[in-house]
Amino acid sequence: MIEKNALAYVNAFALLGTIPALCREVDEARELIKNEKISLGFKVKGGPCMTLVFKDGECTLVRGTDGCDILLAFSSAEKFNGMIDGTVTPIPRRGLLKVGFLLKRFMPLTDILTRYLRASDEDLANREFFEISTRLMFSVISNALVELANNDSVSRFSASNMVDGTVRLAILDECEARIGIKDHTLSLEDPDSAYSAYMVFPDIDVARALFDGKINAVAAVGLGKVRIGGMICNIDNLNRVLDRVSVYLQ
Amino acid sequence: MFKIYEYNKSRELFSRAVKVIPSGIYGHQGPAEGCYVPVEAYPLFSERAEGTYLYDADGNRYIDYMCAYGPNILGYNDPEIDEAARRQRTLGDCTTLPSARMIEFAELLCDTVNIADWAFFAKNGNDVTTLAVMTARAHTKRKKIVFFKGYYHGVSPWTQKIDYSGVIEEDVMNNLYVDWNDINALEELFLTHKGEIAAVIGQPYMHGNFADNTLPEADFWQKVRRLCDEWGTVLIIDDVRAGFRLDLAGSDHYFGFEADLICFCKALANGYNVSALCGKEFLKNTVSGISFTGSYWLSAVPFAAGIACIEKMRRLDLPKLLIEKGTRLKNGLIDTAKKYGYDLHVSGVPSLFYLRIADDPSLMLHQEWIAECVKRGVFFTSHHNHFINAALSDEDIKLTVDIADEAFSVIKNRHS
Repeated sequence: MIEKNALAYVNAFALLGTIPALCREVDEARELIKNEKISLGFKVKGGPCMTLVFKDGECTLVRGTDGCDILLAFSSAEKFNGMIDGTVTPIPRRGLLKVGFLLKRFMPLTDILTRYLRASDEDLANREFFEISTRLMFSVISNALVELANNDSVSRFSASNMVDGTVRLAILDECEARIGIKDHTLSLEDPDSAYSAYMVFPDIDVARALFDGKINAVAAVGLGKVRIGGMICNIDNLNRVLDRVSVYLQ
Repeated sequence: MFKIYEYNKSRELFSRAVKVIPSGIYGHQGPAEGCYVPVEAYPLFSERAEGTYLYDADGNRYIDYMCAYGPNILGYNDPEIDEAARRQRTLGDCTTLPSARMIEFAELLCDTVNIADWAFFAKNGNDVTTLAVMTARAHTKRKKIVFFKGYYHGVSPWTQKIDYSGVIEEDVMNNLYVDWNDINALEELFLTHKGEIAAVIGQPYMHGNFADNTLPEADFWQKVRRLCDEWGTVLIIDDVRAGFRLDLAGSDHYFGFEADLICFCKALANGYNVSALCGKEFLKNTVSGISFTGSYWLSAVPFAAGIACIEKMRRLDLPKLLIEKGTRLKNGLIDTAKKYGYDLHVSGVPSLFYLRIADDPSLMLHQEWIAECVKRGVFFTSHHNHFINAALSDEDIKLTVDIADEAFSVIKNRHS
């Protein structure tokens, strides 16, 4: 059911791709990178290729690995996925002398990310933690939708049934994403861009309950707790990809 | 100014429903699949129905253009059909031996439907599309089935798609897809899968959702028929949705070709639950050899209702009547839209028309207009084709156009 290469894209652009948001949202993460000026690239043979750039107390993601200070290269998607789940220890192909950043900054960052994405009930009892955790989940899901629609064979079928346009995904007053569809290929667009379909969660508690599978999305639409509209065939197909996201992120 | 409906009772019922029924109302009549945008504009439960009218749980009356998604063709609670059903109920319905009504119903279908040499009865459209595909596979000893993209043939796993919940690759691995009206692509499929294609299945024209409905191009079906003959493939027409609203002899007859198998349900018995697969003589023995039955499939009451329904449809020359009513409505709606500067597209055959305001390709404006119509008593949907029934009067059509007019004025003011 899970395709290794598609999982690598999810791990790269959805999970590691949420580290920039983590560094914006969480003081502890921001503190870890505040004096860093370094870039960390990940290159997977036949798979994703990306760099996390740490500079001026911020983290940004760029596609490709050109000029990165540390390069982690993987001979297969399986090895890269192994690094994410902790069963493979990567050795830098470039920037061996900067390995301290990996151990003292990057690894703690991923630990913090894990704590927010696989949050304990105790942590979630703290409202601020709950809200940040949910916004980070939203980021992971938005990115994973795009990566799976472009790389997972079942989700590619869903994308083949989408029409050109832009879907607005949002938790009202909390976070926004725009997913563009062009010739059945998906991409993240500027969060302020115009849209032709929408799926909006009116509040963060409903969004969280849906993410955690505690309420049913179809019932939530009937109760007005999830608002959909516009070119609903794109929402329908995006929801089918969302089913795949839950398979990949379980 | 028309009264704006409120739905307090519907909301209360839905709150109860979600506690004990998955998603509250599942399937096409639910607010999610039904594309109720915004959900607050729509009723969720009905109380009763009569003629062309549906009354919701709050007592609001609608001119119902969904007709239970097709079954209501003569009018809800048609007295002739109900009387035939009542008489049969006093004799027996679900019994150990089938009634002779079953034979009479099959004889009537064979006399009415152009290609029918026999009829096999079940309950839902999905039952007979499934039997049709099994028949084609049993007859040809082949696996693959060709579908036209945008199709709907029911809910069994073979009719669904690889990305649908609960469907596995093996369920759909023999499904082949081709664009509607693309005869070259179909020809290519036959060449690529030489001797492997058991059947081509299609609705008589493309009434997919969220897009204008598309009629077959000139000679399209005749060319499909020729390809099927050339390759020894069974041609199945799924007339579950369109059946008896285009032509009582079958929608293949309407478009001037002959199917090998044709599937009916919805309008077959004006709401009584029965479906039928009709076919040509050469497939009769094959069907006889297929194990396919159900607890209620031979019940006599729906047969009696079906007989009365077909007899009345024949007497009224119903498709012609429905197309005339649909054309009057179509013209009225288009003219009213023009008054406000809107380009309303009405596609498909007028007896099962599809609506779309073309000025906004996102459909959001269209969804707003539909919602304003529903709140005033015209039950349209924003994503699906509609249905005309015989009980719809000229006064109902005029009222519909008046309500549509007010709904256009509301959205015009909102966006000006």
